[in-house]
Amino acid sequence: MDEDNKITKKQVIETEVPMGTVHSAAIEPYRVRLFVEDEVVKDAEITVGVNHRGVERIMEGLPVEKANSLTEKICGICSNSHIWNSVMVAEKALGIEVPERALYIRIIMEELERLHSHMLYLAHGSEVLGHETFAMRMFYIRETVMELLRMIGGNRVQYGVPILGGVRPRAELDQMRIQNIKDGMDYVEEKILEFAERFVSDPMIMSRITGVGVLKKEDAIRLSATGPTLRATGVDIDLRRDMPEYDSFDFNVITQDDGDIKSNLLVRVLEIPESIKIIRQAIANLPDGKITNRGWDMEDTPITKSYIEVPRGKLYHSYSLDDGRVRNVIVRTPSITNIGAMEYACIGSHITDAQLAIVQCDPCFTCTDRAIQIIQI
Amino acid sequence: MSLKSYSRARAVHVMLVYTGGCNGCDIEIVNCIFSPKYDAEQYKIFLTWNPREADVLVVTGPVTKHNEQPLREIYKAIPEPKAVIAAGACALMGGVYKNINGDIPSEEIMGPVDNIIPVDAKVPGCAVRPEDVLAGAVAALPKLLNAK
Repeated sequence: MDEDNKITKKQVIETEVPMGTVHSAAIEPYRVRLFVEDEVVKDAEITVGVNHRGVERIMEGLPVEKANSLTEKICGICSNSHIWNSVMVAEKALGIEVPERALYIRIIMEELERLHSHMLYLAHGSEVLGHETFAMRMFYIRETVMELLRMIGGNRVQYGVPILGGVRPRAELDQMRIQNIKDGMDYVEEKILEFAERFVSDPMIMSRITGVGVLKKEDAIRLSATGPTLRATGVDIDLRRDMPEYDSFDFNVITQDDGDIKSNLLVRVLEIPESIKIIRQAIANLPDGKITNRGWDMEDTPITKSYIEVPRGKLYHSYSLDDGRVRNVIVRTPSITNIGAMEYACIGSHITDAQLAIVQCDPCFTCTDRAIQIIQI
Repeated sequence: MSLKSYSRARAVHVMLVYTGGCNGCDIEIVNCIFSPKYDAEQYKIFLTWNPREADVLVVTGPVTKHNEQPLREIYKAIPEPKAVIAAGACALMGGVYKNINGDIPSEEIMGPVDNIIPVDAKVPGCAVRPEDVLAGAVAALPKLLNAK
């Protein structure tokens, strides 16, 4: 009898609340199934795969320059991270040396992108929280950063700044642009500190987000959560500290202890001044010289990997080069490892907090949907 | 002018549906309606997530295989008169994902949006600029307002 009961011992929860794939609370299409008992979430399941566009399949066999610019289209929020990492793979494989000035411009772009991504997170989080005023304020501050990105890259969303061996000539920083970035950073810092003070001193918001959607430290490590989601549970890991590109910059890694929505929001809020610090250092020490290194030759290389820290965590790209064309492309984005964290963060909270608990992990499902399922070989 | 058309002219509700793009257009559209800088709400254009109260459907993305059926159903659920805006390069011609000139056209992409539902206004750009979204919304308005 016991032998048979082994499977059925697992508690079966009958009430299921499905959400999605198109749902009003989530901009992106994904499917959540919440298993509910007395309005408390007991289990959650997130299914992705709706946005699958097969970017890796399209990249296969393209010339490496084209493939690099295609990686940008994986995600519209962290597009610079994708193209930077993809370019870095080829640079590592071919041994291309990047001029110092180009590296600094890349880092300025990356940190500006982190600013706008975190601000978008705060705006979206406030909107889901039900505080539209904060969301609008956040969008207003974010507009400064978007204008800076447009100034450097020429487009508000996909800038395409890094190319093999440097950055595009379009992204050269002259005195006027540097002054604009300086002014923008002063403005953003002032407004963000103001926002943070108002946010933490609002008792209504703090009581709404404290202790809700808790992700335990052990769970976060076990589920291999990355990025700010992991740092919000108290794990002190930031790949930027270990990347040689960031060696000459001085910044702090922000961690919080609780793993709830409050910690997640605070980690992102406090990372914004750190990013501003990096941008200021980069501008103050911007080296002179060329921004592109054209002296390199194409050759065949084995599969090369590269990891960088992007606004949402750790991003992985790898491919091999064959006759100047890209083969065996694999992209692994931070959100795919954070899905487990999202499911665990829902458990134990009230059903009205479930959406907030998912949003706290900063999901980007458009990045995530690229897995190729081989049904028949 | 009936009460219905009077009130419709003063509150145009836009529903945004995302069919598998890269998120860039979506955020720009939300930004355009929501952010105080562009603030489409001052022109009485409001964002809604409910198809039954929407007048205008804004579609972004190249319409992936799994999103085709939901898109048709959302279009059906919107009451007449309705207008559809296709926003972004993906929605207009499949974008980079369709692999138009490539060796094998992608099987995952059912778009462009034209193939699935009738489109009234087209907004180009990758990603769309908020100014263009406003212009597209204005181009779609006569169809709504002149309907009997």
